[in-house]
Amino acid sequence: MTATTLKTAAEGKQPVVSMRGITKRFGGVVALDEVDLDAYGGEVLAIVGDNGAGKSTLIKILTGVYQPTKGTLELDGKPFSMASHSDAIAAGVDAVYQNLAIADHLTPAENLFLGSELTRSVLGFKVLDNKRMRKEAVDTLNNRLGVQLKSMDVLTESLSGGQRQAVAIARAVRHDTLRVLVMDEPTAALGPQETARTLQLIKSLRDQGLTVIVISHSLDDVFEISDRIHVQRRGRCVGVVTTAQTNNEEVLSMIVGAKTTDQEH
Amino acid sequence: MSATQTSPATNARPTMGQRLEPYVSFIGPMAMIIAILLFMAIVEPARYFRASNLNQILLDAALYMPMAMAMTFVITQRGIDLSIGSVAALSGICMAFLIKQYGFSAPVAALIALALGAMMGLINGLVITRLKVPDLIGTLAMDLVYRGIALVIAKGLVLARFPDLITEIGRGQALIYLPTPVVIGLITMVIGYVVLTRTHFGRYTISIGSNPEASDMTGIDVDRHRIYAYVFMGTMAALAGIMLTGKLNAIQATSAPYFNLHVIAAVVVGGTSLFGGRASILGSLAGVLLLSMMINALVTLRIEFFWQSVASGAVIIFSVALYTWLQKKDRDGSAGLAGLLSNPRMSKTYRLAAVVLAVLALLLIVGWMTAGDVKPSG
Repeated sequence: MTATTLKTAAEGKQPVVSMRGITKRFGGVVALDEVDLDAYGGEVLAIVGDNGAGKSTLIKILTGVYQPTKGTLELDGKPFSMASHSDAIAAGVDAVYQNLAIADHLTPAENLFLGSELTRSVLGFKVLDNKRMRKEAVDTLNNRLGVQLKSMDVLTESLSGGQRQAVAIARAVRHDTLRVLVMDEPTAALGPQETARTLQLIKSLRDQGLTVIVISHSLDDVFEISDRIHVQRRGRCVGVVTTAQTNNEEVLSMIVGAKTTDQEH
Repeated sequence: MSATQTSPATNARPTMGQRLEPYVSFIGPMAMIIAILLFMAIVEPARYFRASNLNQILLDAALYMPMAMAMTFVITQRGIDLSIGSVAALSGICMAFLIKQYGFSAPVAALIALALGAMMGLINGLVITRLKVPDLIGTLAMDLVYRGIALVIAKGLVLARFPDLITEIGRGQALIYLPTPVVIGLITMVIGYVVLTRTHFGRYTISIGSNPEASDMTGIDVDRHRIYAYVFMGTMAALAGIMLTGKLNAIQATSAPYFNLHVIAAVVVGGTSLFGGRASILGSLAGVLLLSMMINALVTLRIEFFWQSVASGAVIIFSVALYTWLQKKDRDGSAGLAGLLSNPRMSKTYRLAAVVLAVLALLLIVGWMTAGDVKPSG
């Protein structure tokens, strides 16, 4: 990961991800209309907006779940297109969804490696290497997220909301190729203490050089962690502001449409 | 994350409950098995604990072991397969015809039967995943289809007297004490355990049953792995068909009725959840043993054969209700069965029950008062 960090630093202000003129129609409904988005390495970009502003559609396009009706995506300056979410993961873009997409009846380690299990060969047969997966899961949780679970052998359903989320995040950051992590409402289901821990975790991921894109309804959280804020309103981007140079009221008025700005970072 | 920064690296010892949790599915049926053993030890020890009777119990249980193992996978994926009895009968019939009519050698015919079972399982899987027919209806309909084909092929014939290999599979004594089918059944159970815990298919079986959408999002081909489970199930049902043919040294189209319910009962009694995600191969083995011991106990006690069906149904209801209760997180406020019965929301249900009983009683009284002479149908 350090190598990637150095590279992006050396390349200066080249965005890791850039979306240009993204339009998405569902039948007659225009969910997104000519939206541009840039995200840089080692920053937290927050996407805010009212319900139906197109936030979720935008990140679903970024993570390959939806394909845009019009518009282009670039990763490290190279155009790329995806047919599915697995293409996005292969390209280094992964997401942690609100419902976490965790199988409750598997252990944390089994969840971490779900879909890309480690195997070893026994008499020519490939069998799952549960021991190694367990060990690497502990390492990932500990080294990347600073999280230690009491027991790795319990089912994930018995963990708290924050712990479950840590498992979901660990699954995404486990891939060494990960460049962009998208998080949909990471703090929505958490109590105050766990929210604070999750925000801390997002910051530490940013400091590791990742691009973190966060969707949130909580402006307090957004102001605490984000470097820039992308405001969506009715399917259009109504502005991108630098968090340090704005305040709660300005962003709020942009969300509800009382004020627009073209102040680009 | 609650135990993050402060707690040292040592893993806290899990509580007693947590350590026992994985074994609940085995302890449950085991407790019932011990209860049956104790009961029979008091009531009918001489005949129940005869070596030949214990052998008979194992022989009965062995037939269901391969199917219970495969059904554990199907049910864990939130599926169900009601066609296994017909799959077993049809594969057995086909094997019998190949041996008796066409002179196939026994090993080849047995392998063909397994392949036919796999093919029938594949058809089930395709019906469910590609034609999107819900598994309950899909396999129920295919049950009719396979049974019908078996009847068409056999035309009411009973095929009997098979080569030694088939009877060895069905009722031989491989080791001095263990019958061959028991050895086969236990081997399939071990294979099932390894597949569940050590292979992609086993891992994905649990994740699909636990959270199908999440499994799909992680890039798991959910439909393909569901088809795998039905193919596995079909193959094991065909194996049971071969074992049944060997056990009776005869096969007919109406063989193997109610295999489906017996096997589903064994798996559910063993703690595999009908709601998906919770699998226990060991529990399924215990469930199979429990059902066989129970049915054998009924026979030993000279209770009429038809009560077996009543007993099996009662065991299914009891165990599913028990597991549902055990998995309930919050048991406060319900105050157990008494609380449920005194719940004010039950009062309308009580009234309905009272009305149904009253109408029934009234009709019985009217019928009795107006009854004429008895004309026996015989």
